[in-house]
Amino acid sequence: MNILIGTIVLALMAGWFWQKLETDERRAEAYSGVRRMLINNAPRLLVALVSAGLFAELLPEEVVRQYLGDTSGFKGVALGMMLGILTPGGAFVSFALAAGATQAGATAPAMMSYLTAWALFAITKVMAEELALLGARFIVTRFAVSIPLPLLVGGIALALPI
Amino acid sequence: MSEKQPALGRQTAFDASFMILLAIALVAAGLVAWFKGPWRVVEIAASYLGFLAILSPKILCGFFIAAAVPILVPREVFTRWLGQESGLRGLGVASLAGAFVPGGPMMIFPLAVGFRAAGASTATLITFVTAWSLYGINRTVIWEMSFLHIDFVLLRVLICLPLPFAVGWIVSRVLR
Repeated sequence: MNILIGTIVLALMAGWFWQKLETDERRAEAYSGVRRMLINNAPRLLVALVSAGLFAELLPEEVVRQYLGDTSGFKGVALGMMLGILTPGGAFVSFALAAGATQAGATAPAMMSYLTAWALFAITKVMAEELALLGARFIVTRFAVSIPLPLLVGGIALALPI
Repeated sequence: MSEKQPALGRQTAFDASFMILLAIALVAAGLVAWFKGPWRVVEIAASYLGFLAILSPKILCGFFIAAAVPILVPREVFTRWLGQESGLRGLGVASLAGAFVPGGPMMIFPLAVGFRAAGASTATLITFVTAWSLYGINRTVIWEMSFLHIDFVLLRVLICLPLPFAVGWIVSRVLR
């Protein structure tokens, strides 16, 4: 269902952009951009998605339930943050792992903290592009102000009556 | 200041990071085969490849949008627009830009370099990068909504909504 909604939203947006491109020439330019992205990303996507599935399978359910489950509270949120910082790879890996952990009994606040930490600090992303292009000073400043965010997000989710 | 800007989307399919990814996948496959049997590896691979097939229209649309935006809005126009905005308004614009500019790190960080060259402050750039990290539309719609329940995604985005603005504001106070 989610996937259908997302597909419709993106298809409408893509259609709108297609319209806006107006000429066949500019559309052809966009198609060649798509082709380039496909060639570069398809092998990565295939391998990453399958390995995400394999990792989700390897998650030990009892451990997940004990440390990230209903009784884990803020400790689970804090642990989620640490795990998020350590998770390598693209978006699909962290989301697939979060889905696997949720199925195994992890709470939503712990997973929000996990995903927030991953999104803000995932080491691979930082090393590759951000450091090279924006510099160490930028990263240090960004990290300094962002460190409390995963705990804040998880904490708010924890405090909400749901 | 150097005018040179790194090319967008420069990435090859089979580089070192792909090899690392492949090695990790093979280790994971070995572990699953060891603990649950080789057949389970085949099952998981098949089900996730099927999942990828279901996702593929969405991914293609996302790629198309990411390819169309730079053609429609020349980078200079976009860059000037964010570089000139400053103060709280700049932080608001940066939050929006981070949320709606399509594309991955290969697109976002070179763009941020362009914003900086055009005069955007560190606070604005941090807001931009944080908004993209927390709720960039590509990642949220293509990936997060595919794996996690929509209530979870919406709640997370709602909680995160003011945060890029907040961190930018703090940086702008401290670095003044």
